[in-house]
Amino acid sequence: MIIKASAAVGGGVERSPRVSLTQKKKKRSCHFRKQSHFSNMETATEASQENKFATDSDGAKIQERIQKRNQERIDGVERRKEEKETRSVPEENTEYFSRTFQAELACIEELLSHCSGEDRAEVVRKLEETTTKTAQLQKFVNDSVMFLTQYELRRSQAALQKLQSSITEARDKAMPKKKFAFRARTQDTAPPVAAPPAQSGEVDGGGGASEKSPPGAATPAQSEEAPEQCGFSNREGELLTKTAEEIRQGDVLLSHLSNCRVRLFGSPSTLHLKHIDSCEILCGPVSTSVFVDHCKNSTLAFPCQQLRTHHTTDTQVYLHVTCRAIIEDCQGVSLAPFSWSYPTMDADYAVSGLDRDRNNWSQVDDFNWLAFRTPSPNWSVIPEADRKTSWDD
Amino acid sequence: MGLLTILKKLKQKEREMRLLILGLDNAGKTTILKKFNGEDVSTISPTLGFNIKTLEHRGFKLNFWDVGGQKSLRSYWRNYFESTDGLLWVVDSADRLRLQDCGQELSKLLKEERLAGATLLIFANKQDLPGALTKEAIQEALALDEIKSHHWCIVSCSAVTGENLLTGVDWMLDDIAARIFTAD
Repeated sequence: MIIKASAAVGGGVERSPRVSLTQKKKKRSCHFRKQSHFSNMETATEASQENKFATDSDGAKIQERIQKRNQERIDGVERRKEEKETRSVPEENTEYFSRTFQAELACIEELLSHCSGEDRAEVVRKLEETTTKTAQLQKFVNDSVMFLTQYELRRSQAALQKLQSSITEARDKAMPKKKFAFRARTQDTAPPVAAPPAQSGEVDGGGGASEKSPPGAATPAQSEEAPEQCGFSNREGELLTKTAEEIRQGDVLLSHLSNCRVRLFGSPSTLHLKHIDSCEILCGPVSTSVFVDHCKNSTLAFPCQQLRTHHTTDTQVYLHVTCRAIIEDCQGVSLAPFSWSYPTMDADYAVSGLDRDRNNWSQVDDFNWLAFRTPSPNWSVIPEADRKTSWDD
Repeated sequence: MGLLTILKKLKQKEREMRLLILGLDNAGKTTILKKFNGEDVSTISPTLGFNIKTLEHRGFKLNFWDVGGQKSLRSYWRNYFESTDGLLWVVDSADRLRLQDCGQELSKLLKEERLAGATLLIFANKQDLPGALTKEAIQEALALDEIKSHHWCIVSCSAVTGENLLTGVDWMLDDIAARIFTAD
């Protein structure tokens, strides 16, 4: 950046002596001027006048010309400067980084210092805020890695580390019980799914088999070998349902379905949708991830922790997602907040452990669209007027 | 800079390691990193880009680079290969359908010249899930026994419970230390 600026200035300096040189030349070559004036229509009248007169008016003209050139030069410098400014991103400089970083850090520390007191809900809320802010700051550092010096990077990492540990400390102090509750929940989900060790040995063969056969053929074979996984495969034009007793925190796989209506009442651990065409799939709260692969012209609705969508076209998703949804190699995916409900859904929400208040349905990361400010053309939000409100059959 | 400062800097640098965490998407790379660092793992989103964490462990300074594993990001992995001391390959043990993909990506990495000197640790992650394959099954599926170019070790673990994470990383540190810090 600095090099460019000095080059621009250099250009300016270089030009001005050239102007004065031409000026001198003109003064010296008075006798030669007459000739040249004949060829110039504008100054044709001047040619008949006396030499002295002509020199005066020429002097003024030259002055004017010089000024004009000078103006042009200044304009040129200005224009280049502007161009340069529009091209370089103001965020990409160390000074800006350290200023923003320090300000954010101070802000978070300030917030953290207020994270104690009687009102538990308030403290929890504040802690939450500090955590998200810290995450944002970390992301800011990550994004800036490209232009930061090793030293700056290390310093900011150290600062973040310190902050992180003080947040953990504050959290432990403010709500030691919450941690325990979280552990209890994960243990809760474990018992119903315990698989005998012998089974995993058998499954090993399954892994080998799927290695040789094409992915399409592997899908149904795999579901046979893993009996704890329930779901539907190779159906057409049917109404398919599963109850909470059948699902019981297991993995659900739906593959090769077309023109089906699927209702999954209950809370699966994960939900896989593969090769789905023109279906309507509604599912209860999924405690971890939903994977959607090769799905088209369909309508989906579910609450989940993460949504990972691949190779999907023209599909509507009515979504409740507590972390984030991502799309990759997708087109025409449209989203709206989750709106389906069924009688026992509250109980299933409790089993899944999902936070009902946190829904990031409209925050989608498109892995094929890494442009920073422009939104991805591969997904959109369904306008409120066009959203489906009634799900009854 | 005096000679003493240069020597001191070299000395400091010796205790530093650069570790690269790779694997398919949804393998649990970020979760492993966060769990190892003692952070909350319940709010992790698929990594768009990468995470870096520097942490101290057993007197070593560990620079962890955790790069997103989505298909579209894999071509960027090679930007992170330079001067890597250890490669952590994370496998989702419950994801049988993509085990073949997983093996292919790994063997591609092992052919990389810039990773030639790196120690390889394979985490058979998600052992807390019911359908998870054992580490022996994964060892076979990924044909690990055929790897002669790198020191490698497979450890079964669960990022969610934190089980065996330390065992794996400790093995890796020992192996790297034995290789590059022989002067101590």
